[in-house]
Amino acid sequence: MSQTYKIAFIGEPGSGKTTCIAALSRIKPLNTDVGCTDELLQLKETTTVALDYGELDLDDGGRLQLYGLPGQARFRFMFDVVRDGLIGVVLLVDATSPTGFDGFSETLTVYAEELRCVPFVVALNKHVGMPAGLPEAVQMRLRESQLPAPILTVDARHRPDMARIAKMLFTLLDYNRFVAIPEEEA
Amino acid sequence: MSLTSEHRAQCVQQLQHLARRATGVRGVMLALRDGRPFAQVAGDGIDTGKFAAMGSSLLALGSSVLRELSAGALDHLLVEGVEGRLVLVRIPESGGLLILCVLTTVDARLGLVLGQARACAVAIGEVLRIATRS
Repeated sequence: MSQTYKIAFIGEPGSGKTTCIAALSRIKPLNTDVGCTDELLQLKETTTVALDYGELDLDDGGRLQLYGLPGQARFRFMFDVVRDGLIGVVLLVDATSPTGFDGFSETLTVYAEELRCVPFVVALNKHVGMPAGLPEAVQMRLRESQLPAPILTVDARHRPDMARIAKMLFTLLDYNRFVAIPEEEA
Repeated sequence: MSLTSEHRAQCVQQLQHLARRATGVRGVMLALRDGRPFAQVAGDGIDTGKFAAMGSSLLALGSSVLRELSAGALDHLLVEGVEGRLVLVRIPESGGLLILCVLTTVDARLGLVLGQARACAVAIGEVLRIATRS
């Protein structure tokens, strides 16, 4: 019987969460975008206020449920809505944005508590032309926060890159079972 | 539509009017569609920033579900709890910009609250319509 896995995307507004889910989903994605009313309007016209949802079939017959969460800290409560059953979180970073690192840093601060409880990867999205030293800076920030996580460079709209992210999360999940999940559940 | 402090003052008057008329109202707020507070007559212990964000999330989810089910546009949203109720109504004439959020105690009369919330939404819409034309 095929398995269904649940993954959440977090990251600053404009990091590519909605675009990524729309590009990957085999079903018409659910989105909850509304027009921006603040300074974000200079960057983009709409923003997600609840969640994006899409589904992606894996080569082994499994299925990924993709949940995209709003980027603004005021919507942090939406993590509680999708928390149950998550196998992992993808922290998307717009690697070519001048505010990419700051956005990543803020997201890490906002979700630090949640990220200590679930495997996560940092995905440097739109990475072609990203500033030199960004992966190292991201790694340093992760270390300072005592939140170790793999850092991948991806085009989050491409299925093979998403499969790579999923594989990394499964690896983390397998590893974490040794330390985090009671034996009877493993 | 850009909203001014004068709009806000007029909206607060309408919110106060609603809070006075309806019994059991714990808090009334106007939230912007992207989840920021615009005006409020909120009771003690209500985090207005979170209230606005949650209101916009709920309304957006409700609208999406109705759209997926071909059930038309969202008119209002009612969330019933053991100890309270939340009513969300989109403000007409605001281009979807504003959402009225009304939190009541559980013993508040639902029909009255719904009716008065709708009337308040229409009144605020009228304020905005007149302000836009003048």
